[in-house]
Amino acid sequence: MSEHPASAHRDVTDYELLFDCVHCGLCAEACPTYVATRSEMDSPRGRIYLMKALAEGRMDLDADAARHLDLCLGCRGCESACPSGVKYGRLIEAARVFVECEYRRAGFDRFRRAAVSVVFPYPARLRALLMPVRILDWLGLRKVVRTALPVAAREWLDLLPRHGTNSTEANWPAPGAIADDAPAVIVHHGCVAQVLAKSENANSERLLAAAGYRVVKIPSTKCCGALDLHAGNGERAREFARANVLAISKLKPDAIISAASGCSTAIAEYREILKDDTLAPEAEMLASKVKDLSSLLLERPLQFSARFDCVVTYHDACHLAHGLGVREAPRVLLRSVPGLKLVEMENSDLCCGSAGSYNLTEPKMARELARRKADSIAATGAQYVVLANPGCEFQIAAELRRRGSSIRVMHLADFFALAMTRGAKQNR
Amino acid sequence: MASSIDPKLVEELAAIVGVEGIVSRASELKVYECDGWTVEKSAPDILLLPRSVEQVSRVLRALDRKGIAFVPRGAGTGLSGGALPLNAPVMICTSRMNKILTIDYANRRVEVESGAVNLHVTNAVKAKGFFYAPDPSSQMACTIGGNIAENSGGPHTLKYGVTTNHVLGVELVLPDGEVVELGGAVEERCGYDLVGAVVGSEGTYGVVTRATLRLMREPEGHRTFLATFPDVESATRAVSRIIASGIVPGAIEMMDKLILRAVDDAFHVGFDQAAGAVLIIELDGMEVGFAECSSRVIEMARAAGAKDVKLARDEAERQLLWKARKRAFGAVGRLAPNYCTQDGVVPRTRLPDILRVISQVSERYQLSIGNVFHAGDGNLHPIILYDEREAGQVERALGAGRDILKACVEMGGSLTGEHGIGAEKIGEMPLMFSPDDLAAMMELRHVFDPKERANPGKIIPRPGACVEVAAPRRQVPI
Repeated sequence: MSEHPASAHRDVTDYELLFDCVHCGLCAEACPTYVATRSEMDSPRGRIYLMKALAEGRMDLDADAARHLDLCLGCRGCESACPSGVKYGRLIEAARVFVECEYRRAGFDRFRRAAVSVVFPYPARLRALLMPVRILDWLGLRKVVRTALPVAAREWLDLLPRHGTNSTEANWPAPGAIADDAPAVIVHHGCVAQVLAKSENANSERLLAAAGYRVVKIPSTKCCGALDLHAGNGERAREFARANVLAISKLKPDAIISAASGCSTAIAEYREILKDDTLAPEAEMLASKVKDLSSLLLERPLQFSARFDCVVTYHDACHLAHGLGVREAPRVLLRSVPGLKLVEMENSDLCCGSAGSYNLTEPKMARELARRKADSIAATGAQYVVLANPGCEFQIAAELRRRGSSIRVMHLADFFALAMTRGAKQNR
Repeated sequence: MASSIDPKLVEELAAIVGVEGIVSRASELKVYECDGWTVEKSAPDILLLPRSVEQVSRVLRALDRKGIAFVPRGAGTGLSGGALPLNAPVMICTSRMNKILTIDYANRRVEVESGAVNLHVTNAVKAKGFFYAPDPSSQMACTIGGNIAENSGGPHTLKYGVTTNHVLGVELVLPDGEVVELGGAVEERCGYDLVGAVVGSEGTYGVVTRATLRLMREPEGHRTFLATFPDVESATRAVSRIIASGIVPGAIEMMDKLILRAVDDAFHVGFDQAAGAVLIIELDGMEVGFAECSSRVIEMARAAGAKDVKLARDEAERQLLWKARKRAFGAVGRLAPNYCTQDGVVPRTRLPDILRVISQVSERYQLSIGNVFHAGDGNLHPIILYDEREAGQVERALGAGRDILKACVEMGGSLTGEHGIGAEKIGEMPLMFSPDDLAAMMELRHVFDPKERANPGKIIPRPGACVEVAAPRRQVPI
């Protein structure tokens, strides 16, 4: 045994970090894929074991190993459960780069992943691609066309929100004057979000302004790099990170948030991604400014002018809860709305299956997790599901729509915009 | 790697559990080559994930016809290698049999499948003010089946007892596939206590598929104290005083300096880093008795040398203390790449002596050893830190563990409080039992498993092979 001490033969992931895992297994039940399959290969401990065996040359990257690594959502639920402080997110992100380089997936799977990678980070391309759907929605023909599509395309189509459903624009009063020395906040508009979640971005900015923050805009927002980071495209993730650091750091924000918690976490990771780059100091500065909407709104409380009698349940977006560790702030904020009753759902911090582009590349597991999430939501009897990530919003809304449920899924920004403007409308 | 098993049998097994329920490819089986005891590794040739007792029974019948041995596994969180396949080509994992079947508050019992997660049982009944008492530190992941196999304990067993005190009945599939019901719904039974024989049998009697468990009423309140001591001696003195005074707290847990550092890094509890040891003392029961008991406990802790005794102000503070304590093993990962946890027991009055031995062993083997344990019932968990990449450290860690266990037995204690013997401590069994004792145990085992096909190579050492068995038999380097 000790004549073969463990050592790395292959650059699968940050080998030293693997030794943080002591194989206790406490992560298993915090892992959505383990909860669904109940097999060790689909648990964080199992995946770390695979990475270690791959790194040490004790096994080869075959279809099975790639499959089980691919099936990881990257939700980082295991990090919240891990007593040993394993940096699982970094391990799996690095392992994905290895899989991308060393493994060739089957035709359709490869196509699917390539399509996401070519289109999603670029808002203009996504907008162009979605034009036919917009026209269908405008003509009211989405349902008809949907039935003619193959299942895979149908599930993709279902995830697309209908245009403008959550807009409260017309009801906002004119913003009051904002002090010059008020903290400057940037809302990073994301890539997919600036196309599909416009109201989430706009309402975040309106809420911040209403709370007395100075909202600073980025002239042209580029993808934060999270999609690439999670898909094993480390090189392009770094390019995006650099572009963002260059564009944002000169605006000298006091805080930066995103309507998509995955983007916030990615920006917080710039300090790691760019640690050997010439932009490292700026990246570090930017990463340290990452905040979340609810925490900022708690610091400068909003005034609600009317009651909002409703039952709400809150879904923890993974990268907000497990990545940034924000769990209480959104709940405290929700409870501050007069008349609102907050009911907790079971496993509120277990991933809904959206996970960035996961629901596009791993639809089967994503659907299974969406079903579980919808069950937990339905059991609360809530009228609204509030969450702080557009991806979760689309995923959960699609599942609830399929069930014919009347529960409304709303991003925190949209929900609070509604809570604020209801009062405004009544007062007028 | 299914080569050692007849392909026809593989087909038959697949037909029983379905293609989703069988794993036979090497890269997938790899992750099943060890549980929480990582020193030894050996992957099964076939893994089965049955979904019902019928499937388990048909699988065992098929294996019986071919004379093939098997190892049961729950969540694989065990710390003694209980789920390590040793000459057992087939692994049967109960993780998919995880339903909570019936909850009967009036009779205070719950019926669960054996793959149900320990904490999920309590979660299912806590809204009504009940709980399932045995609470091993791995309770967020470990299964009831695994708890039954190892007779698991947990901090609160000081007052409430271990698993065997809470299992009323089991459904057991014998190695030949026969399904038997042992025990039952009522608490007072006549005849031999066969449930008692099954609890702690470490999977050597077959596969437990269902269990009826006792539910406890949640106490009206808790008072949880954090007492800080300059050294472990004074902390153990406090333990003995409290127990001797007649107060039985829900739990008394100790953490020493090394563990405090790791735990505080992980959970930011704010432990006094200059402390030599802390005790978490939890009183539970009726609100009316707390005032008097609390002041007595505080007084006794101070008299034993406590620098500071703090009461957890609210439920959040209490939960933080327990989170820190329960996840302490894992937090040790911050101190060293590997550890093994020993599980010896001594009469609680001997705690100061055994802690002295542990610190001598630590010096002798040049390895750091941390102590986090159930002080109230004298159940030690010395955590021996090592690095598998350093030549010779694995052997030293094993040697240190053996010396500590030997000392426990010499002080009138036991080799294991709750982790089981497994593969890890099988070599130490002769320290505690004579060849006649072991032969008698083997005879009892033969009643359930005459051909020794259920988890072979565990608990009872083969005559003549007992001394050196504890040396690692790893098939692959870690």
